[in-house]
Amino acid sequence: MITLKNISFQYKNTDALGRERKTRGLEDLTLSVQKGEFVVLAGDSGCGKTTITRLINGLVPHYYEGDVSGEVSVAGIDVQKADIGVLSAHVGSVFQNPRSQFFNVDTTSEMAFVSENLCVEPDTIRQSILRVVQDMRMENLVNRSIFALSGGEKQKVACASVAVAEPDIMVLDEPSSNLDAAGIEDLKNTLSLWKAKGKTVVIAEHRLYYLTALLDRLIILKNGRIEAQFSGKEVRSMTDEAAYAMGLRSFHKVEIAPSLVDTGAEASEALICRGFAFRYKNTDLTLCFPELRFPRGRITAVIGRNGAGKSTFARLLCGLERRGRGEVSFAGRLWNRKLRSELCYMIMQDVNHQLFTESVLDEVILSMPAAGMNDERESKARGILRQLDLEDLADVHPMALSGGQKQRVAIASGAACESPVLLFDEPTSGLDLNHMRQVADILRMLRGEGKTVIVITHDTELVREVADHVIDFDLETTQTNVLSKGV
Amino acid sequence: MKNKLNTKDLISIGIFTALYFVVILIASFVGYIPILMVLMPALCALIGAIPFMLFLTRTKKFGMVTIMGILLGLITFLMGRPWPSLLIGVAAGLIADMYLKSTGFASIKKSTLGCGIFSLWLLGMALPLFFGYHDAYMESMRPGYGDAYVDMLTKLTPDWMFWIVMVTIFIGGLLGAWIGSKILKKHFAKAGMA
Amino acid sequence: MELFSHAKGGYKSVLDPRTKLLMLIAINVAVMGTGFQGTDYFVRVVCAVIPFVLFLLIRKVRTALIYAGVCAVMLFVEGVLIPSTSGILNLVIVITSGAFSRILIGFAFAYYAMCSTTVSEFATAMKRVHIPDQITIPLSVMFRFFPTLSEESRSIRNAMRMRGIRLGGKKGGLLAQMEYRIVPLMMSTLRIGDELSAASLTKGLEAGKPRTHICQIHMTALDWLLILIGLGLLGYMFFLR
Repeated sequence: MITLKNISFQYKNTDALGRERKTRGLEDLTLSVQKGEFVVLAGDSGCGKTTITRLINGLVPHYYEGDVSGEVSVAGIDVQKADIGVLSAHVGSVFQNPRSQFFNVDTTSEMAFVSENLCVEPDTIRQSILRVVQDMRMENLVNRSIFALSGGEKQKVACASVAVAEPDIMVLDEPSSNLDAAGIEDLKNTLSLWKAKGKTVVIAEHRLYYLTALLDRLIILKNGRIEAQFSGKEVRSMTDEAAYAMGLRSFHKVEIAPSLVDTGAEASEALICRGFAFRYKNTDLTLCFPELRFPRGRITAVIGRNGAGKSTFARLLCGLERRGRGEVSFAGRLWNRKLRSELCYMIMQDVNHQLFTESVLDEVILSMPAAGMNDERESKARGILRQLDLEDLADVHPMALSGGQKQRVAIASGAACESPVLLFDEPTSGLDLNHMRQVADILRMLRGEGKTVIVITHDTELVREVADHVIDFDLETTQTNVLSKGV
Repeated sequence: MKNKLNTKDLISIGIFTALYFVVILIASFVGYIPILMVLMPALCALIGAIPFMLFLTRTKKFGMVTIMGILLGLITFLMGRPWPSLLIGVAAGLIADMYLKSTGFASIKKSTLGCGIFSLWLLGMALPLFFGYHDAYMESMRPGYGDAYVDMLTKLTPDWMFWIVMVTIFIGGLLGAWIGSKILKKHFAKAGMA
Repeated sequence: MELFSHAKGGYKSVLDPRTKLLMLIAINVAVMGTGFQGTDYFVRVVCAVIPFVLFLLIRKVRTALIYAGVCAVMLFVEGVLIPSTSGILNLVIVITSGAFSRILIGFAFAYYAMCSTTVSEFATAMKRVHIPDQITIPLSVMFRFFPTLSEESRSIRNAMRMRGIRLGGKKGGLLAQMEYRIVPLMMSTLRIGDELSAASLTKGLEAGKPRTHICQIHMTALDWLLILIGLGLLGYMFFLR
C-alpha cells in the first residue's frame, strides 16, 4: 500500500542570516506498509518519524521544500509527481495541534471539508457524516463551534473529518500530545474502529501505551534511519526496562502510586490556597476549591482530566484572573492578587507566548527586578544560563531555538525573577523519554534551590519520576465538589 | 504556473489581513478623542504597517497586496462608508502591488514606499467628512444639529484637509514601515523567520 | 438529526446571506446620507427598527433591548437636547451623538449579520454570486482566524502581566510596550498560518478548483420582503432625493 524506497530527504530552510541551511530528514530509508497494517513510528525528536508521515500525505515535497531522492508511492500513486489534492482522497491526516488544523469554524463544515474539496455530491457527504457520527458516537459534537470544544473533542472532530471522505490510509502525527487520559481513550477507540474497518494506519508517536494493543509493527527510528523493528506480539511482551533502554516511553500505562496522592499535606511549611472560587463567564458554573496545600521546597504534581480546573487554578494562583476569589498564604503572610505575580511564576504550556526579547540573555534579564547595576545583573543572568546549559546560546534569538531549548529559557527567566513558587503547565507533553528526563532533572535542580515547584501534567511517567506529592483534581471533585453548578 | 496564487498564498493573505485589521482596530480606539480624530488614520497606518512589513516578506507574487486592499476596502464599505471607499481600497492595493512588483519584491527600502502607498486605503475610512459627501452631509445635519455645529465642522474639514489627511496617512505608513523593518531585523531575521 | 440547523448558538439563521448583504449596503447608504427632516426621518426610523426586529427573530432578546435602549437615548438627545442647548455644550453633544448615531444603526445590522451567519453560509453565498476563490478563501480564513487571534492575544497579555511588563512600569516606554505586545502576536500568526496551510493542503483545498457545498441557502418570503425594503431604500436615496 505504501512504499518508500531508498528515500533521502533534507529540509531546506533559511537560517538566521538568510543563508540556506539543510536539515537532515531521512537517510536512505526503505519501508513498506501493507494494506490494513497498523504501524507505529517511534524515536526521539528529530529522528524522522514526522518526515515519513509528510512523505505519505504529500506535504513533502509539495509544502515542505527540500531535496528528495528515492521513490515514494502511496496506493499506487507516485507522491512526488502527484497533485496533493489527489492524495487527499487516499490519505487522511491528523496533526498534533488541535488549534491549527481546522479550516472551518464549525464542526459540521469541517467534517464535510475534505469531501467538498473532492467534489463529492452533497447528499453523499451528508450520509457519510451521519455514518461517521454514529460510528464514533459523537452526536453531541455536531453543529458546534470549534472554538468552544476542548482539546480532546477537537481531536475527535479532526479524526471524524478525515474519516468522512473514507480514505484507505490514515496518517497521524503525535495526535495525543495535548490530550488527557479521557481524550486518549477516545482516540484509542477511534483507532480501533479504523483498524477494524481495514484502514492502513501510520502513526508517529511518543506516548506508546495506548497503541500497544493495536499495533502490528513498531518501527524505531534514529537520525533518519530505521534502527529496529518489532512485531506487535514482541512489543506486547516487552517490559518497561526494555522500552527505557531503547529511549522509548513505557508500553504500558503507568499508574500513580495512590500513596502519593494526598490533599491535606502535613507539611510544616506550605503554600496554602484557601477558598479559591472562579465563576465562568456566561455559564452558571462556579469552580470552588477546598483548601490546597503545596509543601514548601517540594515538587507537587497536579493531575486530573481536562476541564477539572487545573489551568484556571494556575491562573488564579498567579494572579492572572481578575474575576476570582481566594486567599493565598505563604511564608507567614498573605499575598493579594497583585503580589501573587511576584510570588509565583508560571512556565506556560505554549512557551512561545512568553518569550519577548531578541536574545536569550535579554530574556533572562527582563525578568530581573530593575534594581542593581547593569553588569551585576548581566553576570547573574549568565550564571543562571550556565546552570541550565544555555550559556552558548546567550545571543541567539529565543524563537530560533528548539522547543526544549525555549522551555529552558522560560525556566531561566523564572529562576531570574526569584519567585519562590514555580508553576509548570504541561512541561512534557510531546516530549520523548530523554527530554522528559531532562525536564525532570531541571525540576529536581529547582527543588534543590529551595523553590516550591508545582507541575500540572498528564504525563504519569513524569509524575512517577519526580513528584514528592500529588494532588488529584478529579479526586477533589468527588470528595469535596470542586466543580459545583450554582450561584 | 509559478506565478498564480496558490492556497498557501491565499491563506497567508487571510491571516495577515485579519492581523492587520485587528491591530488597526486597537489603534483606532485612540482616535475617538475629537481633536485626535484627524490624526487617527495616520496612527492606524503607522501601527498597521508593522505586521504589513512582515506580510511583505512572504509576498513574492503579484496579486497578494491587491487582494488585501480589496478585502480591507470591502470591510470599510461594509462598515458603512460610502462606496468609493471600496474603490480607494482596491486602488491603494493595486498601485502598491504594481510598485512592489516593479521592485521585484526584494528590497526592504522599496517596501517602505510600497507600504506608504498601501496605507492610503485608510482614506476610505475618512471619506465621509470630505468632498461631495461633505456638502450633502453638512446640509443634512444643519436642521438637526444647528448652525453652530455645522459651521464649526465645516471649518475643520475643508476639502483641502482631505489632502492633509492623505499626507499624514502616507507619512504614518512610511514611519510605520521603517519601524517595522527595524523590528523585522531585530526579531524575525534573527530568528530565521523572515 | 439535522445538519446545520443550530450552527450558531441554537437558533436558525432566518435570512439568506445575500439578502443580508443587500440590506447591509442599503441601510448603510440610507443612514449615512439622510438628515432629520420629513421623509428622511421616516427612512432613518425604518432603518433603526430593522435590526431590532431581526435581533428578536434570532432570539437575541437582550441585545435587542439594549439596542432599542440606546436608540431611544439617541433619539431623545437628537430631538430634545440639541435644539435646547447651545455653544460648547451643544457642540460636544452634537459631535458625540451625531457620529455615534450614524454608525450605530449600520453597526447594529452588521453585528446581526455576523451573529446569524455561519462562515459556511457566507462562503456558499459568495460562491453563488460567483466571487472567485482568490477573494473567498482569504475572507473565510480571516473569519476563522479572528477568534484564534484573540486567544493568542489574551495568552500573550497574561504572560506580559506575569513578567511585570506593564504600561507605566519599569520595563520600557510606550514603544517598547508595543513591541512586546505585537511581536509575539506576529510570530504566532506566522506559525499558525504555516500549520493551517499544511493542514488545508492535506484536506485537498486548492485555489480555483471547483468544489461542492453541503450548506444550503435559499430565499424565503421574509428574504423577498427585506429585499424589497432594501431596494426601496436605495431607490429613495438615489432617485427620489
